[in-house]
Amino acid sequence: MTSPGTVFDIGYQRYTDRREGRGRSRRAIFKDGVRGALGLGRGARAKILPWFFIGVLTAIALVMAIVAGAADRLVGPGAAERMNLPSHSDFYGIASIIMFVFAAVVGPELLCPDRRNGVINLYLVRPLTGSDYVVSRWAAFFAVMLAAAWFPQFILFLGLSGGDMAPLQYLQKHWLDVPRFLVAGTAMAAYAVTLALLAASFTTRRAYASVFLVGLFVITAPFTVGAAQEIGGKAGQWISMFNLTNIPVHVNDVIFGEVSEITEEAPARELGSAILVAWYFVWTLVPAGILWSRYRRLSP
Amino acid sequence: MTTGQTLLVVERLTKQYGDVVALNDVSFQITDGITGILGENGAGKSTAIKILLGLLQPTSGKATVLGQNASESVAARARVGYMPEHDCLPTLVSAAEFLTHMAEASGLPPAMARTRAADTLRHVGLFEERYRAIGGYSTGMKQRVKLGQALVHDPAFVFLDEPTAGLDPAGREEMLALIRKTHREFGISVLFSSHLMADIERTCDRIIVLQGGRLVQSGEVEHFTKETETVFIEVDYNREALVTALERRGVVVTVEHTGLTIEGAEESVYDHVRDALVEVQAPLRRMAPRRRALTELFERDSEAA
Repeated sequence: MTSPGTVFDIGYQRYTDRREGRGRSRRAIFKDGVRGALGLGRGARAKILPWFFIGVLTAIALVMAIVAGAADRLVGPGAAERMNLPSHSDFYGIASIIMFVFAAVVGPELLCPDRRNGVINLYLVRPLTGSDYVVSRWAAFFAVMLAAAWFPQFILFLGLSGGDMAPLQYLQKHWLDVPRFLVAGTAMAAYAVTLALLAASFTTRRAYASVFLVGLFVITAPFTVGAAQEIGGKAGQWISMFNLTNIPVHVNDVIFGEVSEITEEAPARELGSAILVAWYFVWTLVPAGILWSRYRRLSP
Repeated sequence: MTTGQTLLVVERLTKQYGDVVALNDVSFQITDGITGILGENGAGKSTAIKILLGLLQPTSGKATVLGQNASESVAARARVGYMPEHDCLPTLVSAAEFLTHMAEASGLPPAMARTRAADTLRHVGLFEERYRAIGGYSTGMKQRVKLGQALVHDPAFVFLDEPTAGLDPAGREEMLALIRKTHREFGISVLFSSHLMADIERTCDRIIVLQGGRLVQSGEVEHFTKETETVFIEVDYNREALVTALERRGVVVTVEHTGLTIEGAEESVYDHVRDALVEVQAPLRRMAPRRRALTELFERDSEAA
């Protein structure tokens, strides 16, 4: 025989513990941004796109590692280098378009629904400012993009070193690739995140921002390549600088000290490293400033 | 539960948008309890609430919330809650997840935020439905989620902007009961804006009436309620003589289509009616206490102004 249960209703309880203020609020927006970007805590449909892109980026790295490892075993040690097979310096060039589309499709999810559903009104009456909100959202998507940029490179590094006939020698010779791809990945992620969120800040509809961004990346590439070849010379080099997909890849080239497969045809590569890096900062910091100023003044 | 502690102070507040004056030299104080801010659309209710929340800068004047200047203190917002009139809910996440997030965004540690979210959803009557996506909720349930997110961090004061908007009569009753419970059981003071007099009258302890950006009236609901009490009488004949007899006794009488409305409902009024009826030999058909709607009172006052 079981004893009868009793339900106790202790009523409403006042909260008397610690309130962690603005820092906790920022972390909450950051955490929610990461979860939103990856579709966590949402239905299955929300998870499809982010995980598809992460999967594609990882698959590219896996294929590159397998091809290099197979070449070493089939042709002999050092075959990957002799055959000039793609390596860390080429990864961001090859994967850049996937990363930009990832940013274009997923990035607006962090800003557009909050304004479309009116949730932004609830954030702005909490211990947060518009700047806190947008910086936290930027940081959240940056963290996701950074993971998406770095993870495949680590897979590639493990694949290349593990697949090499002499793994220790490979590590001794190529250890500098790790800090290089970390820095290049950071540059790639910061650029893609800033442009994606800036476009998202102009519309409440995620689809509009995504289509605009994909169109921008897809259209500027052939247009600038064609115009740069047609005009040639210094002017052609500068026109080539407006190929938005190549801007962070040029920085990648500067970091690795070699031209990647994607940029070897771009006239802009002949400009000095300082110009290429400064151009990257212009295209990252100016949009970041505009994005910040749009949210700084925001009120419900 | 009311202690008379002053929570909000508004001093000579003016807000202009270009040539449009949304608030014009408005001053009032709000102590703990349920205060209704009443006015038609465009009266300045939402502007006043936004200034009190620190989201708008006043053109002149000052608003103090919980002892801090509303336009300067972001931190003070950790102790206030806000339920907006318009849609403000995500569609894809569950109420439990959303309230947990909102509690964290108000500064609560994650473990406490989860506990508070579950408790708050129980108090607003959504405990069973808490894991369903908000997009599938009815209008009444969404209003409860909106109230829940305003309460989840246990504010000292909560602003409710038109909380009964869009609700059917049953949903409206439930929401008004929840608002009363918010103060009487949870101990959270409420500033409740509405253009519906009946909602304010039945829920609030005090009323602030705004019209065209100006403060028209403010005070205890009980005070206004007394002013609205009347006695309605009908007689078979000798009505005019009865009016004269009543007026001679200093009673204020309004002649209506079917009877007479006598201002006030004190005992002396009934004595005067009895004496006048006997004096003019008017056969009484009906006598009943009646209340005017507060709207009539404010309309009368604004016309007089």
